[in-house]
Amino acid sequence: MKCRRCKAPAVIDIRRHNAAFCRGCFLHHCREQVRRAIDEYEMFGPEARVLVAVSGGKDSLALWDLLRSLGYEADGLYLGLGIGEYSDESGRYVRDFAESRGLKLYEVDLRADHGYDIPTAAQATRRAPCGACGLSKRHLFNSTAIDHGYDVVATGHNLDDEAAVLLGNVLRWETGYLGRQFPVLPAAPGFARKVKPLVRLGEREMAAYCVLNGIDYQVEECPMAAGNKHIGFKEVLNGLEERSPGAKAAFLFGFFGRGHDRFATEEDEVELADCPSCGAPTTTGGLCAFCSLRARAGGIATGEHTAAVELRAGR
Amino acid sequence: MRILLRNPRRELEIPGPMSVVKLLARLELNPESVLVIQGDTLVTRDARLADSDVIEIRPVISGGAA
Repeated sequence: MKCRRCKAPAVIDIRRHNAAFCRGCFLHHCREQVRRAIDEYEMFGPEARVLVAVSGGKDSLALWDLLRSLGYEADGLYLGLGIGEYSDESGRYVRDFAESRGLKLYEVDLRADHGYDIPTAAQATRRAPCGACGLSKRHLFNSTAIDHGYDVVATGHNLDDEAAVLLGNVLRWETGYLGRQFPVLPAAPGFARKVKPLVRLGEREMAAYCVLNGIDYQVEECPMAAGNKHIGFKEVLNGLEERSPGAKAAFLFGFFGRGHDRFATEEDEVELADCPSCGAPTTTGGLCAFCSLRARAGGIATGEHTAAVELRAGR
Repeated sequence: MRILLRNPRRELEIPGPMSVVKLLARLELNPESVLVIQGDTLVTRDARLADSDVIEIRPVISGGAA
């Protein structure tokens, strides 16, 4: 195969674009897709301070690299989940990436800073570990961005992630979730703006970006995510994509363009109160979902006030 | 060919030459779900692999919807 742009030998083919690229043109393609996503969905301006949620995996490290290469002021936030050797290794990938490029990295450790970890939270709450993990991440990414004055939180959700979430939401007709599924979630009192700049790139492209750019990332899958529904949805969608290239992108961008608005109007105005423990906005009238999880997992007693998130800033 | 597979990590010997697309079909892998890596670069699905090649097949699907 030849590169579509320069006719040099190609290193990757992307069937949904009916194209193949050499290394240099592929990296250009990735930057262009991120730039287009940021512009098309008006994610943030050139002067924005961006906090990138980094896990040590391919998507978040590629996102951090792409935003810096496009000239944005982007710092990283790593959350230590306490999942044994898996978490130790993921932290090393993130620190090595930040140190080698002289980037600023914040770290929050669930066990050291909040008194619990994901395995104990899953056990204590009898929830799937991915639920406790997602709840912890959403809360701490948001509170860190607000505490440190970032304009926006950027996450490494890619086209495949979003298409799989959409499939799950459609299969159960989760109309509230469908109304909120979009590449941008606007800021609101107590909530930072959240964006997904990789939404135009598939996860095969993100892995390729890291390999071709010499970015070491954690290839091994989280041991607690093995066999989850989200991975099953991705496998189904990849089966469709192999038979019908472009199916995933058509499904997702068709929804963003022609379906999302129909569900967004279903969202009701809800009254928010401050969580008595951490001060975050909550609909419950009592502890927010994060503090409730933390209390059940042994991190704090219900109603106890805690100090603000302690951060250990890198360079 | 020596083939390194991940998740879990293991190695296979498969006689070459063979195209990438045929190798993936033989291993029952969806080309959309993996990268085929040779050294520090990638190979496309039409590439022909020699019997002496060392290849890594790396999965790209990651979990967690959060």
